Amino acid sequence: MTPVFGHGRLRLYLLKLLAESPRHGYEVMQLLEERFLGLYQPSAGTIYPRLARLEAEGLVSHRRQGGRKVYEITPAGRAELEARRAELAALEAEIRDSVSGLAEDVRVEVRGTVRDVRAELKQAAQEMRRQQKQQRQRNQWEQWMSGFGTVSEPPAAPPPAMQGQTPTARDLERRIDSFSDHARDVAHRVRPTDAQLAECATVLDDALERIRRILGDQG
Amino acid sequence: MATWEIDGPRKLPLDNVRQLRVSTVRGTVNVVGTDGPPSLEVTQVKGRPLTVRTINGRVELSQDWHPQLLALFIARHRRGPIELTVAVPRDCPVELRLIASDGVVSGLRSRVGARAVSGSLTLVGLSGPVEAQSVSGAVEAHGVSGGLQTETVSGEITLVAGSGDVHCKSVSGAITVDPDAALDGDVTLSTTSGDITVRVPAESALRVQFHSTSGQIASAFPELARTDMPGMHMAQGVLGAGTGRLWASSTSGHLALLRRGAVEELS
Repeated sequence: MTPVFGHGRLRLYLLKLLAESPRHGYEVMQLLEERFLGLYQPSAGTIYPRLARLEAEGLVSHRRQGGRKVYEITPAGRAELEARRAELAALEAEIRDSVSGLAEDVRVEVRGTVRDVRAELKQAAQEMRRQQKQQRQRNQWEQWMSGFGTVSEPPAAPPPAMQGQTPTARDLERRIDSFSDHARDVAHRVRPTDAQLAECATVLDDALERIRRILGDQG
Repeated sequence: MATWEIDGPRKLPLDNVRQLRVSTVRGTVNVVGTDGPPSLEVTQVKGRPLTVRTINGRVELSQDWHPQLLALFIARHRRGPIELTVAVPRDCPVELRLIASDGVVSGLRSRVGARAVSGSLTLVGLSGPVEAQSVSGAVEAHGVSGGLQTETVSGEITLVAGSGDVHCKSVSGAITVDPDAALDGDVTLSTTSGDITVRVPAESALRVQFHSTSGQIASAFPELARTDMPGMHMAQGVLGAGTGRLWASSTSGHLALLRRGAVEELS
């Protein structure tokens, strides 16, 4: 069984949908779902990159309408569609005839999605368990030490703070932790370019230098 | 009543399908809901032919199924893999009995019952009640919204983008749940040694109870009250208005409640 949308056929079908009339990305997704008996439910993550690629190749163009992009086929796009008319006819015939190809597509698509989600969640859960374990160990150490009323260095954790004490190294450390959490979160969401990375690195180095100077660290 | 046998790749229209039952021993079975005419498409049959039986709108597809257990062992050697796809009306109840076969059911509003021994079950876009059981195969559900009950022994259970009531039970398989929207139904997950991981939106309205005998519990919601003692780990509380219910328990599997779309913080 060959997947219905192997070898650039989704791209061909997208061109065909846009040749019928200009449409929003969302509309394209809905139409795909409709034409495929509700079996193929393309995600925004599949459709938008494809549209962007078509645009980069000059086969479609977009204009903004009420905050949304409306995609339109270009003459170059029509020419490609014309050149691949036979292929398109074959694809349409297949969509009509072959539910089994569709079913196979659905399976591959869903398997992929499910596997990605599972891997992502497992990793996140593991990370959270690891952090919580560290936190717990730190708390236990603090509790234990406070019973003695002394402050000393725990093996790996930072020095425990005493109750009622004003800003200590521990508070600074907390702030640094939360800063790096936030910064990491931003870096995750936005994929930085090389130039941005270099700039961020400079900022970080500067900050470290200044902290050293403020604290009078000679090392 | 009509009975016929199919021994090679073939497509045939089915008229008047009101109920479907499929049992196969090796291969792949796809059942899809359609608004068009119902049909059967066999892409591969090896070994014994596929028997199609129709009685008053009830369609039964089976590969020469013999009820005796002994026959099964012998059968494994003479049955080849089969691949078939059935398109049925969206309101047609479906029952699958699969041994060493993968099953895909999609686009239905009706009741679906699926049992697999070593094959996997993939359930997509089902809005009716679904019951899925598997021994060692995985159960994967995407967009199941009409109430899902699933049970496995060692198969993993994964639910993505669904809603409604969910009951999952596994012995050693992991359970992973990641609904798109906030959970609004009654969700019960339990395992013996499998890990349970649930990700819910930050603004969920849920009553939560996580419980494990020896597994660790990690939660990204600090508002849950925790109890950690040897032999009893718990996290429970109410998130938001508490309209839905999320209950998870394990004996030795780890439990994790993640928050969607936010920095994971410690509780």
